[in-house]
Order: sequence, then C-alpha cells, then structure tokens
Amino acid sequence: MFWQQLVNGLTLGSTYSLVALGYTLIMGVLNIINMAHGEIFMIGAFVGLYLVTYLKVNIFVAMAGAMVASALLGCLMEVLALRPLRRKAVSHLAPLISTIGVSIFLESLALNIFGPQSQAFPTELATVQMQLGPIRITLVQIVILGISFGLMFVLRFWLAKTRVGKAIRTTAENIETANLLGINTNKIIFLTVALASGLGGIAGVLVGLSFNAVEPTMGLSMGLKGLAVLILGGMGNITGAMLGGLILGIAEVFTVAYGASSYRDAVAFGMIILILFIRPQGLFGKRQGGRF
Amino acid sequence: MKKGLTKWFTGMVIGALLLTTAGCGGGSAPAANSDSKGGTAKIGVIAYMTGGGAAYGQAIKEGLDLAMDEVNAQGKVKIELVYADSRGEKTEAINAANKLINKDNVVGIIGPTLSGEMFAAGPIANQAGIPIMGTSTTAEGIPALGDFVFRNALPEFLAVPQAVEKAISTYNLKKVAVMYSNNNDWAVSGYKTIESTLKKNGVQIIATETFADKDTDYSAQLTKIASLKPDAVMVSSLYQEAALVLKKAREIGITVPFVGTNGFNSPELIKIAGKAADGAIVASPWFPGKQDEKVQKFIGDYKAKYNNKVPDQFAAQSYDALYMFASALEKAGSTTDRQKLRDNLASVKDFQGVTGKFAFDDKREPVMDATVLIVKDGQFTELK
Amino acid sequence: MDIILNQYYLQIAVFVLVNAILGVSIYMTLSTGQLSLGNAGFMSIGAYTCAILTVKAGFPVYLAIPIGGIAASFISVIIGFPALRLTGIYLAIATLGFGEVVRVIVLNLKVTNGALGISGIPTLGTKISKMMSSLGLPQSFGGLSAQQTSTLLVLLVLLLTLAFLVFFCTRLNRSRVGRAFAAIKADESAAEAMGINTTFYKLLAFALGALIAGIAGGLSAHLTFFIGPKDFAYHRTVEILLYAVLGGSDLVVGPIIGALLLTLLPELLRSASNYRLMIYGALLVTMMAFRPQGLISEETVRYWKGKLGRRRNQ
Repeated sequence: MFWQQLVNGLTLGSTYSLVALGYTLIMGVLNIINMAHGEIFMIGAFVGLYLVTYLKVNIFVAMAGAMVASALLGCLMEVLALRPLRRKAVSHLAPLISTIGVSIFLESLALNIFGPQSQAFPTELATVQMQLGPIRITLVQIVILGISFGLMFVLRFWLAKTRVGKAIRTTAENIETANLLGINTNKIIFLTVALASGLGGIAGVLVGLSFNAVEPTMGLSMGLKGLAVLILGGMGNITGAMLGGLILGIAEVFTVAYGASSYRDAVAFGMIILILFIRPQGLFGKRQGGRF
Repeated sequence: MKKGLTKWFTGMVIGALLLTTAGCGGGSAPAANSDSKGGTAKIGVIAYMTGGGAAYGQAIKEGLDLAMDEVNAQGKVKIELVYADSRGEKTEAINAANKLINKDNVVGIIGPTLSGEMFAAGPIANQAGIPIMGTSTTAEGIPALGDFVFRNALPEFLAVPQAVEKAISTYNLKKVAVMYSNNNDWAVSGYKTIESTLKKNGVQIIATETFADKDTDYSAQLTKIASLKPDAVMVSSLYQEAALVLKKAREIGITVPFVGTNGFNSPELIKIAGKAADGAIVASPWFPGKQDEKVQKFIGDYKAKYNNKVPDQFAAQSYDALYMFASALEKAGSTTDRQKLRDNLASVKDFQGVTGKFAFDDKREPVMDATVLIVKDGQFTELK
Repeated sequence: MDIILNQYYLQIAVFVLVNAILGVSIYMTLSTGQLSLGNAGFMSIGAYTCAILTVKAGFPVYLAIPIGGIAASFISVIIGFPALRLTGIYLAIATLGFGEVVRVIVLNLKVTNGALGISGIPTLGTKISKMMSSLGLPQSFGGLSAQQTSTLLVLLVLLLTLAFLVFFCTRLNRSRVGRAFAAIKADESAAEAMGINTTFYKLLAFALGALIAGIAGGLSAHLTFFIGPKDFAYHRTVEILLYAVLGGSDLVVGPIIGALLLTLLPELLRSASNYRLMIYGALLVTMMAFRPQGLISEETVRYWKGKLGRRRNQ
C-alpha cells in the first residue's frame, strides 16, 4: 500500500503545484497574494467543461479555450481591482483585501451561472488508467505530473534566459527602476497576470478531469491549498511551488493513510503556521526579497 | 470623553432611524389564536433556496407547490405558501422564522431544510406557539425541542439499521469498513447509527475513514481500505461525495457492496457515478419504482410540471407534509388557529402518502416504513 | 409601537449589535495596521468554551462569556507571539491558517460534538426572563409579549456592552497605548526606531481583538440556541472584514456602521439574496479602489464637526 499511497500523494501534490505556480508568478511580480487565483482556476475548469459538453470540442481545444478565458479574466481583474491600487498610496493589505473581494464575487457568480451541483467531464479520457506493478495511476494524473515538472523547468529557463523573462524579473525587483530602464511595466504586468491566470485555467481543466468533479466551491479549497504551498515553498519561488506542492500532497495522503483522516485539512494549514513561525521565507526561499 | 459619547450617540441615532424606516414597510399586529372559518391558510416555508445547497430547497419547493396546487384544486382547504430563504445559515433561519411568525402571521411553518437550522429556528416557533415541521431534518433530538416541533423525515436512526441489517444478512458480512463526512452534522449522525448497528450485530469494523463535504480526492482513504479487504463498505455522506467515493472505489478495484445513508437515495447519485453506482444499497421510504398508484401518479404529475424531472426524496416528503397540513387544517376547522393545527398534526395516524403509511408517535417522531433498495443497472430496485 | 418593536426587527437588531461587537474586534487589530483573518476562529473558541461551560458544566452565563473571551485571548497570544514578528501579509495568512486549523479541531474534538454542534444552549433572553420573575418583576409590560420584553432587555445588555467597548476604545486611543498603535500603523519601522516595542503593542492589539471576538462568540452562542462549526467558516471572517472595510477602519464607529449596514442589507434585499455574495465581493473591490479608508474616516468626522461647529459659532 505504501507505494500506491506515495503515488497518490505525488499526483495529488502535483495538482497543488500547478495551482501554486500561478500564485507564485503573481506574487513574484506584483508582490501580492492573489486570493482570487483559486476562483480563476475554477472558472477555467467550467469553461473547459462547457466547451467539451456543449460545443463538443476535444479536450485539447477545451484546454486552450480555458487558458484564454482565464487569462482574459486575470487581465480584467488586474485592470479593475489591482491597477487602481498601484496609483494610490494604499497599505500593502489593500490588494489582498481587493482580491478577496474578487474571489467572493467570482465564486458567487459561478454558483449563479453554473449551479451548485458537481459536474463531470463527459469523456472517457478521465478513466484511462495504467497498472505499473503494484501501482495504479491514471493517464490524466501522469499528464499533470509531467506538465507541472515541465512547467517548472520551462518557466525557470524562460525567466532566467529570455529578454521578456529578464524584464519580468526586473519589474519584480523594483517597479520604478524597471520603468526608468525603459521597460513597459504595465505590459509586463499584464503578461505575467495573463500567464499565471492562463496556467490556472489549464490547471482547472486538468484537475477537473483528474477528480472528475467540477463545482463552484472547488476554487476555495484548492486556492487555500495553493496558498499553503506558496508559503511552504517560499513566496515567488518556482522550484519551491513545485516541490512544496508535492510535499503537501504526500503529507496529506500519509496523514490519512497512517494517521487520522479527519485531520487531513489541518495539515495544509498547520504547515502554513509552522513554516511561518520557523522559516518564514519558505523551504526554498531566500531571506528578504528572494524572488525567482 | 465627549467625543466618544457623541460618536456613540450618533451611531445609535442612525441605527434607530434605520430600524424605524425599515419598520415602516408594513406589518400588522400578530394575530394570536383567533378563530376563523374559511379564508386562506397561510403556511410559511423556510427553505435553503440560494447558495450551495439550493438544490434541496428547490426540490422541497417543487414538492410543496405541486401539493398546494392539488389541494387548492380539491377545494376543501385553501392554502397559500409564503417562502423565506434561509441560505442554509442558522441566523438566516432565525430571521426567516421571525419574519414568518411576526410579519406574515402564518398559521404553521414547514422547514427549515437543515437540522442545524432547525435547532435554532425550532425553539423560536415553539416559544411562539406555532407548529413547525421539518421535511428533511433527520438529526437526533429535533421533536424533543418542543411540543410544536414535528418532522416527517424518517430519521437516520430508524432508516439506516434496516439497510445495514439487510446487507449483513444478504451478504453475510463479517468485517466492514466505514467512511463518513465529518463536517456534516447529518452525516455524522448517520455514521453513529451505522456504527452502533454494526456493533449490535457483531460485525467487525476494520477501518473508519473520514472526509469532508466537497472533497474530491478519496484515493488515500480508499487505498487504505482496499488493502484491508473488507466484505462491504458503509458510507454516510451526501450524494455528491458518495458518488465520487463509489467512482474511485470501483476504479481502484473495490467490488464489494456499498451501503449508504440517506445520501445515497438520489437519482443524482446514479447520474454522477454512472456504472459505479451499481451495488449501492440504501433504505428509504421513497422509492420511485414502487408499484403503487399514488406514487406513480405523483411522479407523473411532478414530471409534467417540472420538465420531466423525477422527484427525489426531498420533493416527496415535502409533498406529503403539505397534504398532512391540509388534512390537519381541515380537521381543525380553522385557517388561523395555531394550537388546533398543532393538535391535529400530532394526532395524524394512518396517513397514506407517497412515502407510504405515516403516523406521528407521542413524541412527534415519524412512524414509517423504509424499503431497502439496491442499484442494479442504473436503477434503484428493491433488495429482496 | 408594535411595528418597531416587532420581534422580527428586534431579533435583527440583536444580530446587528453582535456583528458590531465583532467589527470592533477587527478594528482593534487593524488599528495597528495588522490584518487578522482568523477572527472567526477566535469567535468560535469563545463561543464553544462558553457553550460547553454553560451546557455541560452548568456555569452561569455572566461568568462563562468572559471566560470564553479570555480563552480566545489566551490562544491568540500563543499564536500571535511568533506570528507578529512577521509583516502584514504573513500575519494575515497565518491567521487564516489558524482559523482553518481551529475549524478542523472543533470538528474532531469530542467535547465540541464535532459537526453536530452544541444545541439546547440557554438563551440570554430566557435567562433574563427567569431572573426577572425571580426578582418579582412582571415578565411583560407595556402591552408587549414576554418574548419581546426579553429580547428588548437582551438588546439593552448588548447596547451597554457595545457602548462600553466604544468608550474603552476611545479612551485607549487617547492614551499612550493608542498613540503607540497609531505610530505602528503609520510606519512600523519608524516606530521601532523610535523605541516603541512594536511586538508588545501588536500583540496587545491582537489579544484585545481576540478577547472581543471571543466575547462576541460567547454572546452569540447564547442568542441562537445552537452553535455548529458551520457558523464560523471562512466566509464569516470575510464578512467581519467587510464591516471594517465598508464602515472604515480609522475610527471605532466605522465597523459599527459597517456591521449595521451589512446586517440590515440582506434583510431589506431578500429578493436579491442570490447575488448577496457577489455584491459583497464587488463592494470590497470598489471600496479598496475608491475609498480604502471606508465610509467613515477621520476626515469625515473632522468635516462634519467643522460644519456643525461653524453653525454653532454663528
């Protein structure tokens, strides 16, 4: 059972990593925690679901559609909720509160539009599974694992080596300086938010496929777990988001497997508290101002 | 010192002004126990109409509306339903109860939807001397709240043992695993009943796993359970979680029967779980496949009125509840006497509803039968 | 008379006051610039402690409520001490995590009865009625029913509590402690440099906030016959936050006005209840974008005082 549980933990964890990557990107550049990321993820899942169910497109088109929709949503949020705050001299809590507002708004919107029932992807893709020795794993879970690891490497490379990536890192370091250096920070911010939200949307479709349940409150719980991973791995740290997610997934599953399953939800939050007290910069973060 | 007092005073004045303006919206003095023949009986309904559990409130409303139309058409009693949304929240249920009692002056209340809401609203109705009946509140201790508190929902501690014991005898169960949703009061109640029934019958519980409402990942719990090889798995949760559990269980190769509490008894379970729902067992007074004229007519009328939707247990029980109220109002001979309504409800015996024969015992708990059902080929059939 | 003193409105007024007290609790921590997202957790600690004491141990209500508040405060110190070394966002997340941990613990402890909650809690109303009859006073007068009278008296108790809190906060603001709070809120590093023990004062504000939230929890437990884990979910914390955001976090009267508006609004707009949370969310965003200091801020008060003062001088 140990190996299967380990795989369970890894696959669960990789879903958390996917969500955490979005948090980390926005945290890195805008230095805010986007509490609405979970809801963007959820709406991406619904867009993908409806594309597959009603427009009968295949799953890849649905994922692309979800990515576009979430990216747009993220940009909308940036313009309406976040940009006005950068103009004024507000406390650093203001963006946090504002994104809490966006998250509540989106969750309720989804409840009204899509209804509270859990819906499933009408595709057989979700149930294709493979047996590797004593371990059972589904195709979707392998895809998620692959994508999250892949993204980790791709994003790190992109940010380190490409011009755009460097522009993003500069903006993350200091917006004023970046402006002085001639970087169009507004565009960069748009790009980052769109990218993070788009990733969230794809994550939504994948997770929706993996668990075969898409419903409006999935954003809340996933969002809180993603937040835990963000803290665990270190704010703004991509490797941290990836590995932190896996650690959290394994910890949760092992709590159920070898401990008391009713404390499962407390694991994520207990970890947040523990990390914040012992090592606030996270497992992989650097002290004070460590970004990507 | 003065600044503080001034601020406080201003705050209170604003508050009082707002309250007054809100009050000017109307509302007459509450009619106590005056007698009046004829006229329309106003029955209040507190239901979970918006929010996460709105599906339940919707089903309850559909059952009530259908019954109301039929009763009014029959002409012996005229009923008007006044709905108040409680959003599944205790404080809202209290506000809804107060509004119905004091502003709308209803003669009786049906609802609220959740047991937790009933624990808060029931005492209020009881204190005000107005009968209140839950159609879906199955936690222990509800009628004990007061003489005016009733429920026609078969409580878990009466229904579940029937399913469990039937499964034990049919499948010769020796060791089982139990799962339940531990953040849902109704599911916890159901679990306790499962546990005590199993112990009473000498069946060994080899694993007890929990999850939470809205959970999507059950792989950890089910992998653990699979490794222990139980003869059956008993699940206490709502249909959404139950369906996902069933799906995952079948996926990882658990083929033994699954026994559930009332959460299993919903067409949604089969819709979400598909083939995985086969082999799911539940005891319920509501069985849409029952070859009973009354039941089939109800299903037909419901489908006609609501776009071919099959009524679930919530709709069936609320439908019966309204008929009970109608019959009690008729016997009481008054549309506004709350005490008489209460007395006539308490004396309901041999009521024939779509959920079968019904009576209230002297503690206002329901006396009704349940059928043990099993899902075969995507349909609920009776487990013989 | 009956129109205003209708039991329906009285009950709403009771809820308004409890929410106002909760608003003051978050105001307390906000006055040092700290955002606590765990106030629902402290409220639940206060509520459960209080309910367990009265229902299972037979404590009298007026003792149980303060004990509940102190329990919440005590736990807040344990959490706060390490957490307050961190800056704003970290504290907000840590308190959010704390709130969730409390929720899971409450779900699992036997003494809190898990998801089933604690029911049959004697209400303040019934206690007051009993006390009145034991004192020989009539249970109802002025043509009001017994229920209305007891609710009115409960309202009185809550009003007095709130008034005391407002008084306390205003005095606090004028004292050294209050000035330290304001300094920390304005610029924490500068305050630290000036020799103010920021950790101590932040902890003090945090503990006071938890105390008030715990007391509000204890009070509310005795108003609704029943408490369960669902009453203290994350959404509740967001609601309390909204009181302060909408009403204003500069002055203690801000969250009170916020609580008043946000408790009445759902009742007045029953038809729009589907959209209530959407409105809340939109409100949070708009307030932060256009008026982050809330409806009532210091300059509002100064403005009106100026206007009234000028008229008085004429």
